[in-house]
Amino acid sequence: MSPLTGVPTRAPLWRDVRVLKWVFQLVVLAIFVSIIFWLYNNYQVNIQKSKIPTGLEFLDNPANFTMPGNDFNQSSPVWSAFIQGFYNTLRVSIVGILLSIFFGTLIGMARLSKNFLVRTVAGAYVEVIRNLPLLVLLTFMNLAVVLQTFPRIENAWKPLDLFVVSNRGIAIPWFEGSGTTLLTVLAAALVIAGLVAWLRGKYSDRTGKPARGLLYATAVFVLVVLGSWFTLGYQWTLPFVEDRGTLGGLRLDPSFFALLVTLVIYTSSHIAEIVRGSILAVPRGQGEAADALALSGPTKMRLVILPQAFRVALPAIGNQSLNLLKNSSLGAAISYFELTQIAQITVGNGSPAVPAFTLTLLVYLSISLTTSLVINIFNRRLALVER
Amino acid sequence: MKKTVGILAALAAATLVVSGCAASTDAEPAAETAAETTTETTTTTSAESVLAAVQEAGAVRCGTRDALPGFAVLQEDGTHVGFDSDFCRVIAAAVLGDADAADMVDLETSDRFTALQSGSIDVLVRNTTWTASRDGGEASTFVQTNFYDGQGMMVESGSGYDSISDMNGAVVCVAKGTTTEGNAALESSRLDLGWEVRPFDDTDLLQEAFLAGQCDGWSSDVSQLTGFRSAYPDGADSLEILPEVFSKEPLGPAVLDGDTQWAQVVNWAILATIQAEEFGITSANVDSFLASEDVTIQRFLGVEITTDEGSAVLDPGLGLPTDFAYQVVKQVGNYGEIFERHLTPLGLERGVNALWTDGGLMYAPPYR
Repeated sequence: MSPLTGVPTRAPLWRDVRVLKWVFQLVVLAIFVSIIFWLYNNYQVNIQKSKIPTGLEFLDNPANFTMPGNDFNQSSPVWSAFIQGFYNTLRVSIVGILLSIFFGTLIGMARLSKNFLVRTVAGAYVEVIRNLPLLVLLTFMNLAVVLQTFPRIENAWKPLDLFVVSNRGIAIPWFEGSGTTLLTVLAAALVIAGLVAWLRGKYSDRTGKPARGLLYATAVFVLVVLGSWFTLGYQWTLPFVEDRGTLGGLRLDPSFFALLVTLVIYTSSHIAEIVRGSILAVPRGQGEAADALALSGPTKMRLVILPQAFRVALPAIGNQSLNLLKNSSLGAAISYFELTQIAQITVGNGSPAVPAFTLTLLVYLSISLTTSLVINIFNRRLALVER
Repeated sequence: MKKTVGILAALAAATLVVSGCAASTDAEPAAETAAETTTETTTTTSAESVLAAVQEAGAVRCGTRDALPGFAVLQEDGTHVGFDSDFCRVIAAAVLGDADAADMVDLETSDRFTALQSGSIDVLVRNTTWTASRDGGEASTFVQTNFYDGQGMMVESGSGYDSISDMNGAVVCVAKGTTTEGNAALESSRLDLGWEVRPFDDTDLLQEAFLAGQCDGWSSDVSQLTGFRSAYPDGADSLEILPEVFSKEPLGPAVLDGDTQWAQVVNWAILATIQAEEFGITSANVDSFLASEDVTIQRFLGVEITTDEGSAVLDPGLGLPTDFAYQVVKQVGNYGEIFERHLTPLGLERGVNALWTDGGLMYAPPYR
């Protein structure tokens, strides 16, 4: 006898918002997947019709070209060219990212300097560089600076007889021996230095005395490197001109130099702005509190302002690092042997274009995703815990 | 929890829908749209020959380049002048009876085969070396070689290099993605010279680097080097080409695999220029040959051959107009004329590119 019988408890399916939402999502997904499938199918049909091999077998073919400055030769397989390209991409990116963060931070602080000249010069630098297209900057660096400003090898500049600078590359003093040993030594020194810094922190917590972790760690690092240097019997070699090239030392390829310098100039102008903004984002009271404690200018910056600014800046700097990595693909335009250049060359030498570039794409994607994963982990640890 | 299950269900449903599309045959109406679009794209490009498409469009799309002196140079008025450009015109004259119906498409070295594969050009006439991997891997078919070349080395006149074996530890600059790159590496390891081979995206950049002294040697096909030398900003005398030739570089037009008819058409268009030179027919005197009594010439020029049983014109069934050879010679010229027009001024000799009757390699099969 309930008066409510016959009144539907639910809306009909076609008017149920929950159902409609799902249907809409499904339709979108289906359309998306069909488009992908359609494109892929077209690719397959057309590629089969023109009888182009589609697999990754081309990776085992001989590469048919050489790269300056390493053991790779024309009978090495294509895959080893890709590995070398991957390595070169990482090399320019890692060095570039470290230098960009360093210079970017300096310029960002200079932007806030009380000194008019420093502030204005830094401001002009940021405004000019940030507003230029990277490829133009790179081409300029290669054609105008490396090719035209640097001397020919016959008249190479030899500052202090330590360096040899010509448009065939820049040779710097280096050590003799294998790179792996050096890396092992550096890694070991880094671990020991880290350990010392950590122990100093513990000590400081216990006694209340200043930790000076960075100072101690640097000293230990230098000691370990120097110690192993002498025990392992390493020696410097100085570069010198021989025939029409240089011998000894470490030779930086002119295209590596042009790419690295351009990437650093460009990226540090962006990082400078991030650093400036992050410093300004640190609450005023923090600086005033540091002043009240009579901390000196540099100490205030190092212990109070920068650590808090860094927390704000980290995600954005991470983004710029990723940008630098992706921008390193422009090196192909000036013949730096990074991943994109390798892909172009192997395609020119008979590797199928679509698989070769798909592979390149996936490699970039995996480097980028790994980097952003690391940044995210850091960021989560550093971010303010808000409740 | 409920949400996750929902998402999973949605994904599963979507996968079902899509895999249904993928696996279905024509009989299944559910997948009609997907199947239709696929067949449509298939039929537009297959089955009919490029020849039919070219005749319908009234133009031959010819892959070429814009800045190789002697072979193909883009003029200020938008036309192309050069040996390769003339062979594009030869093909257009043969197929369409109009040498100006060749649409020149400028390509970079590294994208020339992709252009051919994707069908954005009909024929590639761009100093391309015929190699087995390109025949096999790049889906291309090479036809009659129109220039037999070889790789050489160009150096500055005052460099002190007299032969490539002097060039120990030299920096050798080449074009990126070419056979030149591999040959230079091979020659370096064969003679144990330890060259640093630097590739460049295009020849303008290479020339900049060479001018600035970044390279000791510039390696490429001798014909190209001759061309670049003649147009060098510091004057041709500031450069010299070393005597050695260290590779075989047969340069010829290429078409897409799987279209025999079009390949034959392009082939015979090239061969007609060689045959015409052998007959002594030039663009200037071709009309006087129309009255020739020689049956082989009558066949070649597509003149009506009168016999006791009547008269006929030879149509070998290539798909070309019967007067194609006449059009080629009349509008563009014979092989020797094209060579003299573009390559002789650069200082290139006929050499192996002479007619077989003169001890060269240029030989056309009989037209009958």
